[in-house]
Amino acid sequence: MGELLRTDGLTKRFRGIVANDCIDFTIGLGEVRCIIGPNGAGKTTLISMISGHLSPSAGRIWFKNQEITTRSVVRRAKMGIARKFQTPSVFDRLTVHQNLELASFGKPMEVAERAVRLEEVLAITRLCEMRRTVASTLSHGQRQWLEIAMLLANRAELLLLDEPTAGMTAEETRATGNLIRMLASRHNLTVLIIEHDINFVRDLRAPVTVLHLGRVLTSGSLDEVAANEQVRDVYLGRE
Amino acid sequence: MTEGGIKRRGVVTSLGQGFLRSETTVAIVLFALLAGLPVVVSGYTIYILPQYLLYGMLAMSLGLLWGFVGILSFGQAAFFALGAYAMGLSETWGLGPNPAYVGLMASLVTGAVLAAAIGYFLFSVDVRHVYFVLVTLALSIMVEQITVSQSQVTGGYNGMYVPRMSLLTGASGALSLSKDAAIYYFILPVVATVYSLLRWVLARPFGKVLVGIRENEDRLIALGFRTPLYKTAAFAVSGAVAGLAGALYGTHANFVSPSLGGVLFSTQVVVWVAIGGRESLLGALLGAVAVSALSTYLSALIPNYWQLALGIVFIAVIIAFKGGVAGAVMRVAERSAGRKEHG
Repeated sequence: MGELLRTDGLTKRFRGIVANDCIDFTIGLGEVRCIIGPNGAGKTTLISMISGHLSPSAGRIWFKNQEITTRSVVRRAKMGIARKFQTPSVFDRLTVHQNLELASFGKPMEVAERAVRLEEVLAITRLCEMRRTVASTLSHGQRQWLEIAMLLANRAELLLLDEPTAGMTAEETRATGNLIRMLASRHNLTVLIIEHDINFVRDLRAPVTVLHLGRVLTSGSLDEVAANEQVRDVYLGRE
Repeated sequence: MTEGGIKRRGVVTSLGQGFLRSETTVAIVLFALLAGLPVVVSGYTIYILPQYLLYGMLAMSLGLLWGFVGILSFGQAAFFALGAYAMGLSETWGLGPNPAYVGLMASLVTGAVLAAAIGYFLFSVDVRHVYFVLVTLALSIMVEQITVSQSQVTGGYNGMYVPRMSLLTGASGALSLSKDAAIYYFILPVVATVYSLLRWVLARPFGKVLVGIRENEDRLIALGFRTPLYKTAAFAVSGAVAGLAGALYGTHANFVSPSLGGVLFSTQVVVWVAIGGRESLLGALLGAVAVSALSTYLSALIPNYWQLALGIVFIAVIIAFKGGVAGAVMRVAERSAGRKEHG
């Protein structure tokens, strides 16, 4: 598995508060990785530095063997880094299909190729029947899926998903897990997920990185990190 | 929300596209009627209607920006006035074999380049919302002041005479548009063409991205769109349309003065578009024509109170329908079609 993204000593300070402290992090092509940790651990800060929405106070970021530390959000998106925001961010007054079409305009594609891709994305994300529905009238879970579908239509290679199952029903959460696993295995996408729902993380059977107070506490399978004394103290033990 | 609610809203969408089709129908009928009008009507109506249509073109330049990209500009009159002065100066200086064509080209280029320059500098440092409005407001003030102060070129407060253009070169009279009906039949197709071109642009991927900027700019940025460039391009198109309208207005009215670029006139443009409906180009066009016609009528009827009456109309329309008259029509059409779907 080749390396897709690497951070080296990534640090973010907000007026003296250290949100991320020297994070060394690597994710391989086609890998699914969950970032867990208590509130304030610096999970969203880390994702924001990878997407370019925040610039690091120190440290460097590489994507596809190119340093992207100082590149803009737009340039990173063009390279294939796409972010799903914590609250679904879609085009509310447009239909599902219009949302996806618009997202696809972000990358150059032939007309026929675009049409095929949009149909494929609609099928994968089970939004076929909703294609003519206005986004604002979708359920919360469907809006979350629509935003993921937009990243796919945009031909993203690294998906940064910030709490994708927030507000979903148990059934929707399960389906989201299946979707993410399929995206990685069948479409060779790399997915980095911030998640609070431990059951969801367990279902994903993906490696986990635990953040605590802006530092990487440990990494490994969920069972391994769950066995870690420190992790039990700061996070899992409280449940 | 209930199942039924979702379904009904689902219908609304397909109707949003249906509305565009019916807008096209209305536009075709309207332009056809306008084309036939001089056969049955003559006199002042045929003289003044092209000016109203040019106001309508100016309104469309704002409608594109405000209704589809979500950028409000109080500077549209500035481009309009610059276009008119470009026409006047070209005629005064006798540029090229037919100065009118040079004037028309110059008005397009002036509007586009100025808007692109302002847009690029403001949008690339992410000036949005009220701050952009303030800069465009300042632009109107500047154009008005400059045209006043550069009186050796512009004629200052006295304004500048602009001759009626002719279509061919040579002695005046060679296909001159000095007759009211002649210039009517020149301006009407120009306005119809600009309307069609803008509709075409909005149906292109470029236009869809513009609507995306209106709906959720941050989402587009995170999908890799350089939105400042799109906004700059939209502003440039808007400036070019406003400039061209101004040039035609100058040659039609035979006159241009500094107040044409001022804040007051810019505000009127915003009022036209707000009343007509900013999310429909035809709404903006008709808003300008209707409000201008109403102004003329009221100012003759009640010379002391017509502006008050117009103000009341404006407030009433804005309170009653947020999306202007076109927005209200759109909603009524959706509702009745929704009922059909269920019944």
